[in-house]
Amino acid sequence: MKIKKRMIKRQIGGETFLVPLGKAVYDSNGLYFLTEVGAFIWDLLPQAEDEDQIVAAVLDAYDAEEATVRADVAEFVEKLRGLEIL
Amino acid sequence: MKTPARSEPILATHLHARGARLGLPIAGNFELTARCNFSCPMCYVHKKDAAVPGELTAEQWISLAGQARDAGMIFALLTGGEPFVRKDFWEIYGAMQEMGLMVSINSNGSLIHGKTLERLLADPPFRINISLYGGCEETYRSMCGQASFASVVEAIRALKEAGVDTRLNVSITPYNLQDLDRIWEISQELGVHAKATSYMYPPVRVGGDTAHRLSPEEAAKAAVRWDMLRFTPEVFAHRAKALKSCEAVELRECAADLSEGVSCRAGSTSFWLCWDGRMLPCGMMPGPEVRPLEQGFAQAWEQLRRETAQIRTPPQCAVCPSRQVCSTCAAVCVTETGRTDRVPEYACRMTAETIRESWRVYQERRKG
Repeated sequence: MKIKKRMIKRQIGGETFLVPLGKAVYDSNGLYFLTEVGAFIWDLLPQAEDEDQIVAAVLDAYDAEEATVRADVAEFVEKLRGLEIL
Repeated sequence: MKTPARSEPILATHLHARGARLGLPIAGNFELTARCNFSCPMCYVHKKDAAVPGELTAEQWISLAGQARDAGMIFALLTGGEPFVRKDFWEIYGAMQEMGLMVSINSNGSLIHGKTLERLLADPPFRINISLYGGCEETYRSMCGQASFASVVEAIRALKEAGVDTRLNVSITPYNLQDLDRIWEISQELGVHAKATSYMYPPVRVGGDTAHRLSPEEAAKAAVRWDMLRFTPEVFAHRAKALKSCEAVELRECAADLSEGVSCRAGSTSFWLCWDGRMLPCGMMPGPEVRPLEQGFAQAWEQLRRETAQIRTPPQCAVCPSRQVCSTCAAVCVTETGRTDRVPEYACRMTAETIRESWRVYQERRKG
């Protein structure tokens, strides 16, 4: 899945943020906060071909119901698409 | 139309609050140079030389920024002097962006044209703050030493139209007081938020000459005039009544243990790196001072936090009825009086006159 905007992931005080770079600054209101799972998914995005691969990786790493993970991944990806990051 | 002041993004507030708990330097101010192509008399740093001995190299700035980033810095403000006089500005700017810092710039705007403007539009900062010093060329000549008004306005317009987050800083002095209304009009025409201040710190870093600022009463009247411009009559009236209500507050007994520490983020989650490598809590204060180039940033930051935490402001200010109105702070106290715990008379007079003048305008408007 292709990340269209230049974003750098930063850890600050134990929390994870995305910092927009270059022209991505024009479209953002600043920083984006990532939850722990959001940060985990973010790292998977460049290699993932579809949402199924992300769901499988999350299920491997976390003890959670597949239906819940699938819904959360879909929501996360949809948010990124809405922000034109993906 | 009245442009509302935009508040700080929630995540920035959150990061500073978390940073204060964890001791992180969330925001850094990088005074890249002491040099400036303007020569505003009230400024605390504006050397005219082509080169200034002791000014840090690009490599040193990038190294310090990297160390600060590793310690938790996310917001970086590049300032000066005029940062665009540095030929290696883009090397520093680009390197800091690539570190994942949200870089903002303070500039007088006069050098933002041609390739500099193109580069800014192609690779925009998180925010750019332009100092607008007047509303015509004549004021620019008398205050800044050169007639750059038209080019500065053109730069602001180009940045704004391209979508760069652009804001105006307005320093009100005897040299541009007559332009205040015009400056407001320009900000409205351009659709750019403007923040004005008529309080000028004594520039203690360059001798402390206060001849180039307004008297406390003049500064208060200018501040109230700015309030009249930026607020609707209803908001102004509400504010005038709120200010007036301070006078009704009963003074409590003064005690030495009521003194307070630094009330802002200086030395708590933010720092100021001077052009020569000294690190201060804020750019207005002469100290405490640490040396991150010699000590390493992390150790210098820890020392700065420790020493800033020792600062105490006057106990009289803690119990003053006008406390919520007055903009005094440790930096105001130390630059006005030489000590952080001594009451700055200038601030007292300015605050009293602000309350008086706001009430007078409010009453006058009520009478129609």
